[in-house]
Amino acid sequence: MEQEKTEVLKGTLDMLILKVVAIGPIHGYAITQRIQQISRDFFQVPEGSLYPALHRLEDRGWLQAKWEETETGRDAKFYSLTRAGRKRLSTEMDNWERLSEAVALILSTAE
Amino acid sequence: MGWLRRLFHKRLTEKRLDAELRFHLEQRIRDFVASGVPLEEARRRANLAFGGLEQVKQDCRDARVENHIEDLLRDFRYAFRSLAKDRRFALIAVFALALGIGATTVMFSVLYNVIFDPFPYRDFQHSVVIDMHDLSDDIWRYHYTIPEFVAIREQNHVFEDMVGNYQLDVLYRDGKGTRRFLGGYVTTNGFAFLGVPTLLGRFFSSGDGKPGTPFVFMMSYRLWQTEFNGDPKILGTTFFLNGKPRTLIGIMPQRFNGYGSSLWFPLDLSPGAEGTVFPVKDTEVIWPLARLKKGVSLPAAAADVDAILHRLAEANPGELYPKGFKIVTRTLLDFVVGDFKKTLYALLAAVSMLLLIACGNVGNLLLARATVREREIAVRASMGASRGRLIRQLLVESFVLAAAACFAGCLLAYFGLKGVVAIIPRGPIPEETVIGLNPIVLVFALGVAVLVTLVCGLAPALHAVRGRLHPAMAGSGKSTGGVRHGKLRAALVIAEIALSIALLTGAGLMMRSFFALTHVDMGFNPAQMLYARVARAEDQHYDAAAKKAQFFKQVLQRVQALPGVLSATISLGFPPLGGAGGEITVSGKPPSQHWHSMVELCGETYLQTLGLRLLRGRFLSEADVDSMRHVAVVNQAFARAYFGSEDPLGQRIKFNVFDELPETPRDAYFEIVGVVTDFRNRGLLEPPSPEAFLPHSITGFGERNIFATTAADPKSLLASVQREIWAVDSNAAMVQSGSIKDLLTEVAYIQPQFGLITISAFAGIGLVLVLVGIFSVMAYAVALRTHEIGVRMALGAQHGDVLSMVLWQGLRLISFGIVIGVLASLGLTRLLAGQISGVSVSDPLTFCAVVIVFFAVGLMACLLPARRAARFDPLVALHYE
Repeated sequence: MEQEKTEVLKGTLDMLILKVVAIGPIHGYAITQRIQQISRDFFQVPEGSLYPALHRLEDRGWLQAKWEETETGRDAKFYSLTRAGRKRLSTEMDNWERLSEAVALILSTAE
Repeated sequence: MGWLRRLFHKRLTEKRLDAELRFHLEQRIRDFVASGVPLEEARRRANLAFGGLEQVKQDCRDARVENHIEDLLRDFRYAFRSLAKDRRFALIAVFALALGIGATTVMFSVLYNVIFDPFPYRDFQHSVVIDMHDLSDDIWRYHYTIPEFVAIREQNHVFEDMVGNYQLDVLYRDGKGTRRFLGGYVTTNGFAFLGVPTLLGRFFSSGDGKPGTPFVFMMSYRLWQTEFNGDPKILGTTFFLNGKPRTLIGIMPQRFNGYGSSLWFPLDLSPGAEGTVFPVKDTEVIWPLARLKKGVSLPAAAADVDAILHRLAEANPGELYPKGFKIVTRTLLDFVVGDFKKTLYALLAAVSMLLLIACGNVGNLLLARATVREREIAVRASMGASRGRLIRQLLVESFVLAAAACFAGCLLAYFGLKGVVAIIPRGPIPEETVIGLNPIVLVFALGVAVLVTLVCGLAPALHAVRGRLHPAMAGSGKSTGGVRHGKLRAALVIAEIALSIALLTGAGLMMRSFFALTHVDMGFNPAQMLYARVARAEDQHYDAAAKKAQFFKQVLQRVQALPGVLSATISLGFPPLGGAGGEITVSGKPPSQHWHSMVELCGETYLQTLGLRLLRGRFLSEADVDSMRHVAVVNQAFARAYFGSEDPLGQRIKFNVFDELPETPRDAYFEIVGVVTDFRNRGLLEPPSPEAFLPHSITGFGERNIFATTAADPKSLLASVQREIWAVDSNAAMVQSGSIKDLLTEVAYIQPQFGLITISAFAGIGLVLVLVGIFSVMAYAVALRTHEIGVRMALGAQHGDVLSMVLWQGLRLISFGIVIGVLASLGLTRLLAGQISGVSVSDPLTFCAVVIVFFAVGLMACLLPARRAARFDPLVALHYE
C-alpha cells in the first residue's frame, strides 16, 4: 500500500523551506526532494506553490539566490539563507513549537 | 533594493524565471524516466504535478513587489487613457467636485476663524460681558457706573478677574492743528487680563493712574505706524494729550484690538483718580469684561451679578434702575460676532447643500459611466482578470479623478478665500480675526470628495464581481445594471433638484430682502450727504452755550461757502441712526410714563437740509437759534401720537431729561411752532418715531455734527471742511466724518450684501451642477431607449411625439424634484428668518419665481437629448444595440 501523501500544512511551507535551505545552498527541485525524503515521504510539496513561495521569501530578503552549476553540469538557481532568514527561521520554529505543545496538551487532557 | 533593479531588468528576470521552472520540470521528468516511466507519460505526470507553467509564473511574479508596482503603473496609464477618452465626463466630474471642495473649505474656514478662533486673547472663551435687560421696555444697558462696577468686582463669587474700560476722544495737537484719536480708559489689570504681551515697553501696573502719580499711556500698533512711522524712540517720551503731559510706556502688537481704541490710559478706581470724575452724577460709562471661574456657567454668573445689582437698586432707588430688570451674561465672542454668526451658519448650510449637489452629480456621472462599462468589465473578468485586479483598476481610475478634483479644489479654495476676505464685512467680526485657509477643513472636504468618488467608482466593479457576468456580457451593455442604476440615478437627480431649489429659494429671499432694505423710503435722500463730528479740546462735554453756538455759526458760514456744498447745518445726532430719546411732559395734560419722544438739537436749516416738507406752521428760524428760543418743530408721528385731531401748534412740551443734564434749561417748556414730514429716525427697519427738533443753542452740552448736502462726492470735501474748522479754531478736531451713504453701507447694507452675494454664488453654481445632472440623466435615458424609439418611429411616431415623450420623462423628474424641493425649502428657509427683513420666509412670489425659473432651465436641459432622440433615423435606431 502506498502511504497516503499529505499536502504540507498551510502556513508551514515557509518554515520548511527555510529549514531545508539552512542546511546549505540548494535549488528548488532539490528542496521538494529533500522535504519528501526527510519527512519519509509523508509530505508532498505542492510544486505549484513552491516557486511562488521561494520568490516571496527572496523578495522579503530571507533568501538569497545565485545561479550555479549542478553536479550534472546544468545551470540552476541555488537558494541560501540570509542573516534575516536565519532569524526568521528561529522565530517560526519557536512559534511552531509553542503551537504544537499547545495542541498536544489539549489532545492529551481534553478527554 | 533588489526589486528596483529587477524592475529595470525585466526581460532578464523573466528569462531567469522561465529557466528556473523549466529546470525543475526537466529534473522531475528525468527522475520519472529513471524510475522506468516512459518519456511521454513522465512529461504528462510532471506537468500535472506542477500545475500550469504560466500560472505558476504569474504567481511567482505576484510574489514580488516590483510587479505590483508595475501593475499599478499600468492601471494608472489605463485610467488616464480611459478618462482622456471620455474627456467631457472627466472635466465635468472634476469641475463639480472642485467647486464643492473649494466652496465648502472657504465657508468652513471663515466660520472657524470668525466663530471659534477670532481672538489672540488668553482664555477668551470664558470672557463674558454683562448686560442689563430692562424687562418693561425691552431696553438693554451695557455700561455701568463706577460704584456699580466696583460692587460687582468686589462682591461677586463667579469671576476670576474683571476689567472695566470706557472710550473717550483724545485730542492731540501737532503743527497742523488738533486731531482726535480714539482713546480708552482701561483698569490697570486690563492688559494682563487679555494676556497679549506688549510689542515694546510694559503694561500698566497697579500703581499707574493713582492720584498724584505721573500720567502714562499705551499705544496701539496701528497708531504707532500711521502717526509715528513705527519709530521705537517715541517710547518713554511725553505727549500732550487732552491738554495733559503723558509718558508713553508701552506699544501693543499688530494683532491686538483689545479695547477698540488707539491709545489707552490707566483707570484706577480710587477716589479722585483720573478718569473717574464725570460731569453727570451716576454716569453709566464702564463696560465690564469678566473671566468666569472654572466650572461656572453663564446663567449662574448672571444670577450672582443680578443679586448684587438688585441690592444696589434697592439701596439707591432712582433713574438708574428700571422697575424690573434682569442681568444676562454673554460670551465676549457672542457679543462681538452676534447675529453675524447666524448669517455664517445659514451660509454654511447652503454650502453643505452645494457639496451634496456636487457629490450627487459626480455619483451620477460615475454611475452612468459604470452602467455603460459593465459589459467591458464583464468581458475583462471572463478573460481572467481577477476580482482584485478589476477593483484595483477601477479604484485607480476613481483615484485619478479624485486627485485631479482635489488639486483643482485646493486652487479654488485658495482663490475663493481671497475673494471672500475681500468682500466680508469687517464690522461684525473681531478686528484681530485672521481668516486663513483651515487645513483641517480642507482635508475634510477632500476626504468627502475622495470617498464619494471611490464609492461610486467602485459600484460597477462590485456589481460585476458579484458574479452576474454572463447576463452583462450577453446584454447590450446597458440593459442589465441599467435599470437599477437608472433608478438610483433618477433619485440622485431628484435629490439634487430639491437641494438646488432650497438654495435658489434662500438666494431669492435674501435678494428680495436686500432690495426691500435698500429701497426703504427713508423720508430723506442719503446720497451726497456729508457728516463730521466736531470736538474741541477744552469742551469735551460742555461749554458755555453761547460760545459754542458762535463757533459753529462761523464754521457753518465757511462750510456753506465751500464750492460743492449745497446746504450745511448742524445737529447732535445723524439720521437715520436716531438720537437721544426720553420722557416728555405736555403742558395741560396729565403726566404719564408713556409720553416718549426723541429729541434733536439742531441748526435752523437742518430740516430743510434733510429735505423734509413742512406740513403746518413754520421751520426753525435763524432768530430761534440766535436767541435760544424755547420753540420746537415736531414730526408727523409726534403730532399723530400725542395730539391726534387737536392742533399741535402752540402746544407746550417739556423734555424731562433736560432737568438732569448739565447746562440744559431746567423746567423749560417748548412751544410747538411747526410740523414736518416723518423720516426714518430709528434705523432703516423701524417705523418713524415721534421726534422733536429744537434750536441747538439752548445748551452747550453735547457734541455737534456738521451736516451738509453736496453736489460732488461728499468725501472729496472732507479735507476742506477740516481746514475751515481749523481756520475758526485750531483746537477743534474733526472726529468722525464721511458720507452718510458709506455709513449706511457699513451699518446696514454690508452684512446682508455679503450673505446675498455668497448665497447667490452658491445657488448659481448649484443650479449649473443640477442642470448638468439632468442633462446627463436624460441623455443616458435616450441612449437606453434608442431601440424602442426606433420601433416607435418605424410604427409611425412623428418627431413631435418622440420629442414630447422624452420631454415628459424629464418633466416628471423635474416636477418630482421641485415638489420635494419646495416642501424642504418651506422648512429650511426658517433658518434664514434672522437674515431677512421686509419679506416673509415663505414669500409666495419668491417660491413661484424659483419654480418657474427652474422649470424653464430644467426643460432646456432636457431639450437637447430630446431633440437628439427626435432626429434618430429609425433604420439606424432599430439596429442600434
